[in-house]
Amino acid sequence: MSRALVIQLARLGDLLQSLQAITQLRVRHPQTQLDLLCPSHLAEVGRLLPGIEKVLEWDGAAWQRRAMAAQQDLRAEHLMEIETTLMGLAPDRYDCAYVLNQHRRALVAGSLLAREVKGPLLHGPLGEALTSWAAYVRDVAQRRLGQRVHLADAFCGLCGVSPSGCVVTLDPPVVRLPDDLEPIGKQGAPWVALIVGAGETERCVPTEVWRRWISSFLVSSPQGRVVLVGTESERAAEIQAPLPPSALGRIWDTTGRTSLSQLAAILARCHRVVGSDTGPLHLAAALGRPVIGWYFARARVHETGPYGFHHVVWQAEELREDTWPVDETIAAMCEQGYRAPAGWSVWTSHCDTWGAYYSPVGQAAIPPREREALWHELEPALL
Amino acid sequence: MSYLAQNLEGLRERYPALVQTTQENRGGLLTVVPSREGSPSATHEGRWVHSGYDPRKEAQAWAEAQLLEWKAGELAVVLGVGLLYHVEALVALKPEGAMLTVVVPNIAEFNDAASTRPMEVWINRVDWVWGAPGGMAEQLATRSMPLRFMTYGSAARLHADVHRDLEAELRRIVAAKQSGRLHVAVVGPIYGGSLPIARYTVTALESLGHRVSWLDQSPHRASYDLFASGREPRHRATMQSRFADLLSLSVVTNLAEDPPDLVLALAQAPLNLAVLEHLRKKKFLTAMWFVENYRHLTYWQQLAGGYDYWFVIQQASCIDALTRAGARQVHYLPMATDPALHRPLGLTEAEQAEYGADVSFVGAGYANRRTLLPGWLSKDWSFKLWGNEWEGADGLTSLLQRGGTRIDTETCIKVFNATAVNLNLHSCAGDGLDPEADFINPRTFELAACGAFQLVDERSLFPDLFALDEMVRFRSVAEVPSLIRTWLADSSGRRTIAAAARRRVLAQHTYAHRMSELLAAIGMHQPDRIGAMVRGDRNAGVLGQRADAPPELAALLRRFPSGQRVELKDVAAQIKAKGAGRELAREELLILMLDSYRAETRDLV
Repeated sequence: MSRALVIQLARLGDLLQSLQAITQLRVRHPQTQLDLLCPSHLAEVGRLLPGIEKVLEWDGAAWQRRAMAAQQDLRAEHLMEIETTLMGLAPDRYDCAYVLNQHRRALVAGSLLAREVKGPLLHGPLGEALTSWAAYVRDVAQRRLGQRVHLADAFCGLCGVSPSGCVVTLDPPVVRLPDDLEPIGKQGAPWVALIVGAGETERCVPTEVWRRWISSFLVSSPQGRVVLVGTESERAAEIQAPLPPSALGRIWDTTGRTSLSQLAAILARCHRVVGSDTGPLHLAAALGRPVIGWYFARARVHETGPYGFHHVVWQAEELREDTWPVDETIAAMCEQGYRAPAGWSVWTSHCDTWGAYYSPVGQAAIPPREREALWHELEPALL
Repeated sequence: MSYLAQNLEGLRERYPALVQTTQENRGGLLTVVPSREGSPSATHEGRWVHSGYDPRKEAQAWAEAQLLEWKAGELAVVLGVGLLYHVEALVALKPEGAMLTVVVPNIAEFNDAASTRPMEVWINRVDWVWGAPGGMAEQLATRSMPLRFMTYGSAARLHADVHRDLEAELRRIVAAKQSGRLHVAVVGPIYGGSLPIARYTVTALESLGHRVSWLDQSPHRASYDLFASGREPRHRATMQSRFADLLSLSVVTNLAEDPPDLVLALAQAPLNLAVLEHLRKKKFLTAMWFVENYRHLTYWQQLAGGYDYWFVIQQASCIDALTRAGARQVHYLPMATDPALHRPLGLTEAEQAEYGADVSFVGAGYANRRTLLPGWLSKDWSFKLWGNEWEGADGLTSLLQRGGTRIDTETCIKVFNATAVNLNLHSCAGDGLDPEADFINPRTFELAACGAFQLVDERSLFPDLFALDEMVRFRSVAEVPSLIRTWLADSSGRRTIAAAARRRVLAQHTYAHRMSELLAAIGMHQPDRIGAMVRGDRNAGVLGQRADAPPELAALLRRFPSGQRVELKDVAAQIKAKGAGRELAREELLILMLDSYRAETRDLV
C-alpha cells in the first residue's frame, strides 16, 4: 500500500483551507494511506479532518531550540538528534509528500520524509521556479490580482487534483466541556459565537466595536446569547467590562480556557459565528456553521472567504474608523435584509464544479468564468 | 582517627604534596559553628560562609543551579572552599565522566574543611589545584578542555584577590593561544575621546584575524550638533536624546543584517538600555569598554545592567560601583596604544625646530593643568604648550603653539618625538594632582610607544603596568622642576628609560593585547560560545576532526579551508550556493532545516 503525506505547517486557517485538497486526494488515491504533518498545537484539528489516517506533529519550538544550539556550536549530535526526531515521526519514508506551504522548511520536511515531493517549487527545496499554481497564489498575494479561485481550491491545484464541487464538513468532536460551559447552545436562541481576536493585530476588530455589536444584538434578540471565543481573554474582559447589567447571564466567555477540540464543540453548538478572517472562523465554516465574516486589512473574500454555502462576508473596500457593519450584521441575522455601510460590500458564498466563489448578496449567483479559464490554463490534464 | 587524617589519607596517593602542606598547616581561618539543623557551618570575620540554618540544603540548591549551565566536555572549576558542602553536592549531581576541579587559595581553609567533615567518599572524585595564582593558572591551562567557572560566592569572597589574579593569569595564557576567528561589531561614539580608541580597537581586532563590523557613528556628528542649536536647554537635550535613540535603532538594524558574535561598544556609544535589553533577549552578547573615569562620567549607572560584560580602566571602587548598579561581569582592562601609529620618528631639522623643545605638554586646558603648569616653567629650559581650551590661561599664552587649536595625531607624535622631556599630567577638576589617581591615560602608552621620555604623575595602577625603571613618576607638584632639571641633563638616561618603556608597551600594552585579553575574559565565562570560537574549536578543520563527526558532516566541512571559522549559516550558505535542481544529501537537508529556524532567531528590528 502506498503512503502519502500532506504537509501543512502554517496556521489554523490554512490547515482548514487544506480540507478540500485532502478530500480530493482521498478520492483520487483511494488505496493510498494519507497522513498529515502539521504544527503540534493544531494536531487536534488535524485529527478531525476526514481522510487523514495519522497526524504527525511538528514541534516548531523544539526545532527552534535545536537551531539555536546548532548555531552556537555545530555538532554531529545536533544532526543525530533531529534524525532521531524524524525517525520518531516517520520510521519509513513516504512515497509522496504534498507540500502546501511555500516556506522552504515545509519543502525540506517533504524531502526528508518522502521520496517524491509535490509542492510549490519545481526543482526541489532550493529551486526558485514556482509551479503554475504556486505562482498564481503568490501573484494573488503580492499583487492583489482579481482572484476568482479560492485558496482552498488552489491547494487542490497544488496537489494535482480538481475541486470536488461539493462541500465537505467536519464532524463535531465528542469532547467534554468545562461544567460551566456545558449549557452553551442548549437554552434560548440564537447562540452567536463571537471571535474576539485575531492572530494579527491588523485583523482585530476594536473592542469598543464588538462591545457595541453585543449591546445591539442583545437588544435586538431578547433570547439571544453571545459566546466569546478565542485565546485573547484580556480582549474579552475589555469587551465585557462596561456592558450594562442587562447583559449579565447572556454572555459566555470561553476565551483562553478551551482546547481546539473544545472550541470546535462550542462552535458547533452555536447558530452563527461572527468574526474577522481567522482560524476559528474557518473552523466554524468547516463544521458547517453559518458564518458572518468581517474582512478588512489584507483579507479578501474571494481568496480566503469561509468555504461552503450561504456564508456572508462584509468586505471593507476602504476601512474608515468607526465605520463597521454593526447594525447591518444584526439586521441580516434578524432577517431584515442585507445592507452595507459606506466603504463596505456584502457577499455570499457558493460552490460549483470549479470550487467556491462569492457573489454580491441580493444578486443572482452567477459563477465567475475566470475560474474555469484558469483551471484550463493551469491544469488542463485534470479536466 | 580524626576527620583530617581520614580525609588526607584518601588524598595521599594522588596529591602527596597537598597532603603534606595541609598537615603542616594548623588551620583556623574559619570559625566552625553548628547550624540550626545540627551540621557544622562556618563563619569568617563574623560573616557566614555557609548557611547558618541548613548548609547542605543551600549547597544542594547551588549545585543544581550550576548544572543548568554545565555543558558536556567542560571542566568545572569551583571557586570558593569553605567547608566544601557545595563541592560534595556538585560531585553527587555531576554527570558520569564530567570533570571537576576545586581551586584552593588558602591551605588553612582547606585544613578547616578537612578537619570538620568526613569527605573520604568523594574527595578523590575531584581534582585539586592550590598554590600561587600563576601556578594554578598554568595547571588549569594545561587541561585540554573548556573551563566552566562556578563561584560559590560566600566562600569565594574570602579570596577574591587570588581569584582575580588567577583569572588574569589564565586570560593571558588563553589570549596567547587564541586561534579562532570571531565576528565583532564595534560601536563607537558620535564624537569624543573614545572615538579614536574605537578605531584602534577595530584595527587591533582585524590584526588578530577577526572579522569586524565597524558601526561608526561619527558621520552623524553634524546632525547631532544641529540638534543642539536650540536656545532652550531642555529642547536641546530632548532632541539629542531622541537622535541618540534613533542611532541606537540604526545600530540594531545593522546588527540584524549581519549578526555578530559579539557587540563591543566603546564609551559614549549610542546604545540605550531598551536596545541593550532587546539585544539580550535576542541572545546577542554585548560588552562595553568604558574608557572613561567612572567618577566623572556617570551614565554607566543607567546602563550597568544592560551590557553582559563591562571592561573598565579602574579597579576596585569602580568594579564595586558597577556591580552594585547591576553589572553582571566587570573586568579591569587598562588603556593601551597602537604602535603602528604611535612610533619613533626620524625628524628633519626643520621639524625638530618646529615641534621640539626641552619640555612640552600636549593636552587640553583642564583646571589643574592651568594651575600647575606655570609653576613648572623656568628660564633654564624651553617650554612649548600644545592643544586647545587654554583660553584665559594668561601665564601660558606665550607658550601656546598654533594659537591653541586642536592638533592632530600626527602632530602629537612629532611633538612627542622632538621633545626631551614630555610632561604627562592626568586631568582633574581640582587645582592640583588628581586626588583619586588610579587609571592611566592613553597618553602614557602613546608616549612610551613613540620611544619618548615622559614625566608622569603617580597613579595607583602603575605597578601592574610599568616598572620604576620604565617610567619616571612624580608624587608631588614640587618635585617636578628638579626632575626636569635632572633628566634634561641626562640624555643617555632618558633614552634608556624611554626604550624600556617602549619595549614594555610593545610586549604587553597594545590594543591588540587588550582585545586578546577582552576576548579571553569573555571566552572564559562563555566556554561553550565565545570561548570555543576564541580557541578555534569552530574552525572547519577542528570541527571535521571531532570524533563524533559523521562522514557526511565531515564532507560538508571539508569544503571550507581548515582554518576558517564555520557555523551553521556558513554550511547552509554553501549548500545553497551549489544550486538547485540537484538531489540534496540528507545531511544537507538537515542543515537547511536547522538554518531555516536559525534565520528566524535574529529577527530584531
